[in-house]
Amino acid sequence: MKVTVERAELLKSLGHVHRVVERRNTIPILANVLIRGDRSKLELKATDLDLEVVETIAADVAPGGSTTVPAHMLYEIVRKLPEGAQIVLEGSGDRAVLTIRAGRSRFTLQTLPDSDFPDLAAGDMTHKFTLAAADLKRLIEKTQFAISTEETRYYLNGIYLHIAASGNTAMLRAVATDGHRLAQVELPLPAGAEGMPGIIVPRKTVGEVQRLIEDADAEVAVELSQGKIRFAIGAVTLTSKLIDGTFPDYARVIPLGNDKELVVDKAEFEAAVDRVSTVSSERGRAVKLSLSAGRLVLSVTNPDSGSATEELEIEYDADPLDIGFNSRYLLDIAGQLEGEAAVLKLADPGSPTLIQDRGGASALYVLMPMRV
Amino acid sequence: MPVRQLTEAVVNRIAAGEVVERPASVVKELVENALDAGASRIEILTDGGGRRLIRVTDDGAGMTRADLDLAVERHATSKLADDDLLTIRTLGFRGEALPSIGAVARLTITTRHADEPHAWTISVDAGEKSRVKPAALTRGTSVEVRDLFYATPARLKFLKSDRTEAEAVRDVMRRLAMARPEIAFTLAGEERMPVTWAAALPGAPGRLARLGDVLGSEFRANAVEIDIERDALRIEGYAALPTLTRANSLGQYLFVNGRPVRDKLLAGAVRGAYADYLPRDRHPLAAIFVTLDSRDVDVNVHPAKTEVRFRDAGLVRAVIVRALQEALLRGARRSATTGGSATVSALRPAPSLPSPASGGGWGGGRGGWDWRSSPARLPTSAAFASAGLAEAAQSVFDTGGPQADTRPVAADSAPELVDRPLGAARAQLHDTYIVAQTRDGLVIVDQHAAHERLVYERLKAALDRDGVARQILLIPEIVELDEADIERLVARADALARYGLVIEPFGPGAVAVRETPSMLGEIDAQRLMRDLAEHMAEWDDGLPLERRLMHVAATMACYGSVRAGRRLKPEEMNALLREMEATPNSGQCNHGRPTYVELKLSDIERLFGRR
Repeated sequence: MKVTVERAELLKSLGHVHRVVERRNTIPILANVLIRGDRSKLELKATDLDLEVVETIAADVAPGGSTTVPAHMLYEIVRKLPEGAQIVLEGSGDRAVLTIRAGRSRFTLQTLPDSDFPDLAAGDMTHKFTLAAADLKRLIEKTQFAISTEETRYYLNGIYLHIAASGNTAMLRAVATDGHRLAQVELPLPAGAEGMPGIIVPRKTVGEVQRLIEDADAEVAVELSQGKIRFAIGAVTLTSKLIDGTFPDYARVIPLGNDKELVVDKAEFEAAVDRVSTVSSERGRAVKLSLSAGRLVLSVTNPDSGSATEELEIEYDADPLDIGFNSRYLLDIAGQLEGEAAVLKLADPGSPTLIQDRGGASALYVLMPMRV
Repeated sequence: MPVRQLTEAVVNRIAAGEVVERPASVVKELVENALDAGASRIEILTDGGGRRLIRVTDDGAGMTRADLDLAVERHATSKLADDDLLTIRTLGFRGEALPSIGAVARLTITTRHADEPHAWTISVDAGEKSRVKPAALTRGTSVEVRDLFYATPARLKFLKSDRTEAEAVRDVMRRLAMARPEIAFTLAGEERMPVTWAAALPGAPGRLARLGDVLGSEFRANAVEIDIERDALRIEGYAALPTLTRANSLGQYLFVNGRPVRDKLLAGAVRGAYADYLPRDRHPLAAIFVTLDSRDVDVNVHPAKTEVRFRDAGLVRAVIVRALQEALLRGARRSATTGGSATVSALRPAPSLPSPASGGGWGGGRGGWDWRSSPARLPTSAAFASAGLAEAAQSVFDTGGPQADTRPVAADSAPELVDRPLGAARAQLHDTYIVAQTRDGLVIVDQHAAHERLVYERLKAALDRDGVARQILLIPEIVELDEADIERLVARADALARYGLVIEPFGPGAVAVRETPSMLGEIDAQRLMRDLAEHMAEWDDGLPLERRLMHVAATMACYGSVRAGRRLKPEEMNALLREMEATPNSGQCNHGRPTYVELKLSDIERLFGRR
């Protein structure tokens, strides 16, 4: 195999695929990237057995062939080569090495046979649809922060994508929760997704998809089945296994009947929470919200160092209420809100609170209070 | 009181069982008999690990001719006055030991009671009882057991080596000796040098003296006294400072009403009390004496009486933990003398200073093999530098700055500082150790360990004061467990809530976790609940949860503390010393190592031969 390729092209493409490769591997070939030259195309492929990324770029290939080399090392080499360089990848027939040449630099990397490279057999995809890249990005971005990292509750380690009815329209809804807070975003169901099963897309996959979406105007083709999902984003195809589990019945914990409604300027609120939480200690990040007519007092007390309070003008006319939240969780959610005014719907200090943009119903957040 | 046959009812109540298991159990039974007979001096002689000969001689009350004849009959005893098994004040009461021994060995008893004109002797050979014959003995009783198990060859085969059996005898004697410091014991035998434990004074000093004799003088120097009384329950004894530990809990001894027993209650209580000071795998030495109304404890659990049952085990455990904690708090600022004496021995003057380049072979000037210069030891800096890693070349750039910051401390203006327990800071060595002068010696403080402990204590106090903030769960976690586990967990729900974990029963076979400590973040509730349930089944407390919280606190403490290698100003050093004086438990770091060692002036003078 002999491939000649533009450095910038190769670097960008390796940047996409090498991230999938784990730094530490028990199976040696998983540390490698598969390189396949075929006519005027160079295909790069990396996998961690749960997730597979393939990208094809233009290259001069003569003759064709394929091999595998350590992914991170190849990426570092290409990154350090001078800009504008022409890189020649040449595999030798009998020795298990790949030679990389560019200008006066010359590297020889040991290879492992491409026949051993695992293939994430995709099988038959039952549903196909396309989404605007911006829409997909929004589904992910607004929910990602709430994904659980606790591995024993594996079924919460991803975003739950499923069909839900909003009024009379069918929606594609994304939900994530870690048991303390919950995020839900939805958009109109795209054509072709009717009847799709509810699926849980793993955290690592959604992170990669989000990074791969560079051009917000593009379209992303999504294919899925009971066990796998595939995203085609430009020249990159990402295939991933899904989490095999049952997402809990989250609808029960969304408090739709909360009647104490508070409206606050989002930017002011976010800044104020951030300011008062400066005095909170490592072990307790509770911020107390004291609500009375037209007035919200945020306060943090840290017996070790001091206290902070800040007063905000709000729209509120229900009974006075004191409620505590983890300040980090409040900031996480405030960071996701898009509008100028945030709406908090509360019931009592021991029940979930609903947080939304004023007038925006497509995204909602649920936060459980703290007892302090 | 005459020996008499017990009634049938009592005989049936006393569960039958094997009393004589190995030579050590014979020794135990005979010595307990001697103690019950009011002896003040007991001699034990064994041969062949007790297999060939065991002879126990005491100066107790002795027996009359008639008593002697009956004593070797089954279920005959003088010790159960009114057939009341609930109020047992003697070590023995079952009336099984002598006949059991007589059934499997050649038993000879010679005894002289004050009312008899001379001594009498009787022998039992594999159950064949001889006539009572006159004999010569001035007072007390001498029991001789020869050829143990010769009548039951099968049992004989199960005995271990003579050495092992002799060690078991020794262990039994150590326990009995600790229990009764006022009695003099002599343990002699072919396999060992005779050991004599002289009679000690009654009361705590005598007990400590005896414990020191048995457990080693190190224990005597590093033990704190325990003495606490709650209603009819009294806990006394001694426990080692957290710096004196073993890798197993065999060094922990429990005595209930003067009877040595083995009970995991003790290990659990000790673990709970030392949880703050020791890593999991270290166990302190301790000897704990529980005195309580004999009706509140059942000793008739096992024929050998090594196990007991408490009517209220939870109370006994709680009081032991409390007693230990109080004692540790008292002893907390006592720096371990183990550290001090180890320092002194490390400072022994060397005939000549070791030459730095003599890397390996025979130690310089010591005239013998010196492990410190053995090639097996890690190379020291000099040897390492020459190993080709260019350190030697780089050392050219070392300006050779002073390793000790000996700038005179401005605090000289406050001479009263040397009267404080930890004295006045004089210097910092290697940017790691603070040297302070006290009125009668010097103190060396490990600044990181000390500060880590101070920060940890502060965090812990804050947790106790403010409670633990709880995050309510959006989706309660349902954990499936055994009914018994759930009952235990729910029974302690209040205590768990104090640490931020709120649970409630959830139908049969499950609990719902509703709130969790927010400082633990997202937790694996399943595993936490299982750990808690398992731990509670065994120890009846919520230690795993507490431990997790404290682990987080300790990690924060470690990050938030002054590291080794930071130069401290004199004011900072003195402030650290003063805070250590004010903080309980500052004598050890979170891992049970000492935070400081103290060298007395007398130790230093000894080093230089001034004393």
